[in-house]
Amino acid sequence: MHLLIVSCTPRAVAASNTDKILTAFCEGFEAQGNTTERYYLARRDTWPQIRDAFAQNDDVLFALPLFVECVPGMMLEFLETLTPKAGKTKISFLLQGGFVEGCQLRCCEAYLETLPAYLGCIYNGTLLKGGMFGVSFVPDQQREKVLAPFVQAGTQFAQDGCFDKQKANEFAQPEYLSKGKALVLRLSKPVQKMVFRKIAKEKMHSTEPLDAKPFLQVVK
Amino acid sequence: MEYLIVSTLPPQHEGAAELIGQLAETLPQAEVVYTQQMKISACLGCNSCWLKTPGRCPIHDDYEPLMLKFLQAKAVVFVCDTKLGFLSYQAKNLFDRILPLATMYLTIVDGQMRHIPRYHKNLAAAVLYTGQSDNAYLNRWLARAMLNLHGVSLGAYPFEEKGAALDALAHC
Ligand SMILES: Cc1cc2nc3c(=O)[nH]c(=O)nc-3n(C[C@H](O)[C@H](O)[C@H](O)COP(=O)(O)O)c2cc1C
Repeated sequence: MHLLIVSCTPRAVAASNTDKILTAFCEGFEAQGNTTERYYLARRDTWPQIRDAFAQNDDVLFALPLFVECVPGMMLEFLETLTPKAGKTKISFLLQGGFVEGCQLRCCEAYLETLPAYLGCIYNGTLLKGGMFGVSFVPDQQREKVLAPFVQAGTQFAQDGCFDKQKANEFAQPEYLSKGKALVLRLSKPVQKMVFRKIAKEKMHSTEPLDAKPFLQVVK
Repeated sequence: MEYLIVSTLPPQHEGAAELIGQLAETLPQAEVVYTQQMKISACLGCNSCWLKTPGRCPIHDDYEPLMLKFLQAKAVVFVCDTKLGFLSYQAKNLFDRILPLATMYLTIVDGQMRHIPRYHKNLAAAVLYTGQSDNAYLNRWLARAMLNLHGVSLGAYPFEEKGAALDALAHC
């Protein structure tokens, strides 16, 4: 199969979690003798080429980060410029988000199930996974561990030709936080704050308090 | 200002003009903002508003003054059109750019992860839309989006149901 992949994050490619996940996914997918071509909505000047590729390909994968419970605004802007097709193109989605639980991605998934029909295409399943916020920040070894399941998912997609709902549900686990995990998260708040501050300092060169309130005086 | 009406549709849009006129007449101290003449970019997902310049977006366009109005209003009414079964991208951008109002820090509310809000502010929002869309879905989405901001959804309504929207807004 030849798969057209569009990375739909507005984030610069080098910093994007979506792109790192896609690289892992393609490793598994291409090892099965398949080919891919990849485009990035963050590179606005390439939108005409992406539209052409969409018109010419029958197997399409849109990969996106969850933005406020649904599709990023920039992705919607791009989709609004597409000319609907004649019915045999299959669209699959790879959706990833920051929060850990699978349930956080379900509202967006429900929208994605309806989206291909608006574009004259066929819905071909969604792979979803939470807990991806740190992919670009963590040390290489940890990143490899987080990304390994996506290599596997690429292999599986090559075999199934779609994202099977049941397998996708397993992949999205945990659907909810267990009571134990929730407690650990609650208790680890001070550690969590330290980690975020460290990221801010090392990756963003910022030492401002992360809960700064620059507009406190205007709140009513 | 008590009520903020933000329209992504232009002032000359027939349905919106009539609707906004009625909203502004009925709701006390309503301010109307049209975003079409404003420059509002999409969120670029850079995380600066959480990690580099906490609370501030590095994109210096017309969004920040609007976001400050959100912090002052009792309720915000978004008036927009829908495309592809969801809010138009212009309207979604207004929600995506709201991230500076949350902090990076995490908490758990009703068993689900959430961000700790940056300010003590009970945001309340309603969406009034034109165009074909699944109303149940838009309500589901808005409820979740507002939950994430520790705010409340006052509901999503097609223009024709403005009576119900006014009711919800008057009683919030
Ligand atoms: C504007 C914005 C909104 C977001 N909304 C959510 C959300 O509703 N739920 C969630 O789990 N993660 C949310 N995230 C986190 C991203 O989905 C997550 O960090 C993702 O890995 C980013 O991928 P990228 O680097 O390819 O853009 C949001 C991030 C941004 C910038």
